[in-house]
Amino acid sequence: MNMHKRMDILFNPKSVAIIGASQNPDKVGHVIMQNYLDMGFSGSIYPVNINADGRILGVKAYRKIGAIDGGVDLAVIAIPAELVPSALEECGRKGVKGAIVVSGGFSEIGRDDLQDRLTEISERYSMPVLGPNCLGVMDLRSRVDTMFLPTFKLDRPKIGGVTFVSQSGAVGSTVLDMISHEGFGLAKFISYGNAAVIDEVDILKYLIDDENTKIVLFYMEGVRRGREFMEIARRFTQIKPIVIAKGGITPEGSKAAHSHTAALAGSAGAYDAVFKQFGLTRANDVDELLYFGKIFDTEARCTGKRVAIITNGGGMAVLATDALYNNGLELASLTKESEKKLKRFMPPIVNVRMPLDMAGDADDIRFKAALDVVSKDPNVDMIMVISLFQTPGADSRVAATLIHYKSETEKPMVVVSPGGNYAQVHNQMMESSGIPVYASPSTAARSLRALLDYSEYVRLTGEIYGSKKRR
Amino acid sequence: MGSLLEYSDAVKLVREYGIEAPESRYVSSAEDAVDFSRGRSIALKVISNKALHKSKSGVVMVNLTGRDEIVDAFNHLKSRAVRGRLSPYRILAQVMAEPGTEIIIGGSTDAQFGKLVLVGMGGIYVEVFKDFAMRVCPINEYDAKSMLKELRSRSVIAPDRDTERMVVELLLRTSKLLTENERISELDLNPIIIRRGGYSAVDIRVLV
Repeated sequence: MNMHKRMDILFNPKSVAIIGASQNPDKVGHVIMQNYLDMGFSGSIYPVNINADGRILGVKAYRKIGAIDGGVDLAVIAIPAELVPSALEECGRKGVKGAIVVSGGFSEIGRDDLQDRLTEISERYSMPVLGPNCLGVMDLRSRVDTMFLPTFKLDRPKIGGVTFVSQSGAVGSTVLDMISHEGFGLAKFISYGNAAVIDEVDILKYLIDDENTKIVLFYMEGVRRGREFMEIARRFTQIKPIVIAKGGITPEGSKAAHSHTAALAGSAGAYDAVFKQFGLTRANDVDELLYFGKIFDTEARCTGKRVAIITNGGGMAVLATDALYNNGLELASLTKESEKKLKRFMPPIVNVRMPLDMAGDADDIRFKAALDVVSKDPNVDMIMVISLFQTPGADSRVAATLIHYKSETEKPMVVVSPGGNYAQVHNQMMESSGIPVYASPSTAARSLRALLDYSEYVRLTGEIYGSKKRR
Repeated sequence: MGSLLEYSDAVKLVREYGIEAPESRYVSSAEDAVDFSRGRSIALKVISNKALHKSKSGVVMVNLTGRDEIVDAFNHLKSRAVRGRLSPYRILAQVMAEPGTEIIIGGSTDAQFGKLVLVGMGGIYVEVFKDFAMRVCPINEYDAKSMLKELRSRSVIAPDRDTERMVVELLLRTSKLLTENERISELDLNPIIIRRGGYSAVDIRVLV
């Protein structure tokens, strides 16, 4: 069965049955149902509960899914594991087009027998099943939200182009909460848990053609179908980036090694090799998922490793220069022409060399002059602006100037802006206008490096792998 | 658990893929070893399933020239092998390679992704320095080049374009060998001694 071709129903159902919906707010099924209502889902909602009598959360309830008149596109199942197989069987018989099993209690606690039954039922009815032991999906465009975490506890992000896929529900919900405070928006969230049916290969095959997904952030612990994973990853990264954090790195694989090579390889090494070989961007932690996510979300591509640094704080420029070289990047050297132009606009105390320290009293006019020159300089591949909003000259006009040049220039541009409330206000302005803002030069440099590596990968492998450019 | 491929078969296998290994054969006596050397500088190695990392077990002697040195070395290795309970064992004589930089090229098998190919600084300290790069087979030229780029020791391993091309070619051949021989679970070409204009795979271990 081509699972990925049937998966769309999980994100765009016209009707949803919530099996395990409950009037009792302590039940997972209650929260899921409440979320559907809160999100303003426009399709039909059918609460299903074996003990149902009348209404649940004001909606007519059913004792069995079979009792619902008319068709059901999606079933969200949140009942004890023992009861899931028979409920799923009923879904199959009813002709439900897809199911999300939120319930835990399957192979993660050794109940492979129960999980195998889900796989078997899914195959028999050609019904895509996500989970079990997962949070399910969120699609802000279609207002589908199967998460059992209430909206007051977990902020929902705004709509955007980033799809976040997580094997783990805990990492999934935490990162999602963090994403909602970042400048970028979410296309889809997929938590796939034990992957009884739909696994990482199906998900990537589905997302490669998903128009709304521009980049993928991925948290995984392992891959089930290694060869197929490599094949789809190779095709995927030619079109859109994948930033991946891999958990569960153990030295187990090297235990039985007889040779130097096998001892070095290990299983963590194999993943590392695969990620490098097929252009996946490795994130070492959840915060790097977000740092890299931000810069990839701008869809910028680098032409090289020469970075121009523009700042109103000299000391930060020194740290930033170190950060560049620590990450294998270089400070750009401007053309003679650029230097001449800069001299005209900068006060005599400013030395017009990289890194360009425009002095603590630099205002938006000086930022504008500098960006005007640097953004057009052919010796510059990327721009790092360090704007310290604590300084006398920096105010909202500086933020507005940066936003203007971000939309003007083709060169990747990031802003480093550490600080408290005043800085944060401006950071939010800039982030919501699509500028990746970082709190330190080192995170900014790491992110630029990740973008450079990906850009180079696509440029160098494009011909070999027959890249099909989307843009 | 795999078993070690007979050394002469291992040499034959890598040569089929155009990987150069120095002339070698098993010798049955000290006299036989002297005959093999024909005035050339040679190495003698104890080959036994019980001595997997030869240099660590002290059962390799190198740079042997002249009758006396060879005879002494042969007898020494024999007693080492007996004392180390390495029976059954055989002694291999091999022509010394020209000196150069020691690198490792190897292969292993991952349950999920299949054959992996690896390159790094070679010799006995590979597992200490862990300066290596790895990819899944089969690799292409881009992969091989990016592997070298990844190494801290890249300027030592591939100091010039010709040497880089040579190592890239070696990697492509190793990848082909691993891909086409499903039964190989692990491979060590360690060290391969490289120098400007040539190389020699002086120790080969193939697990099937």
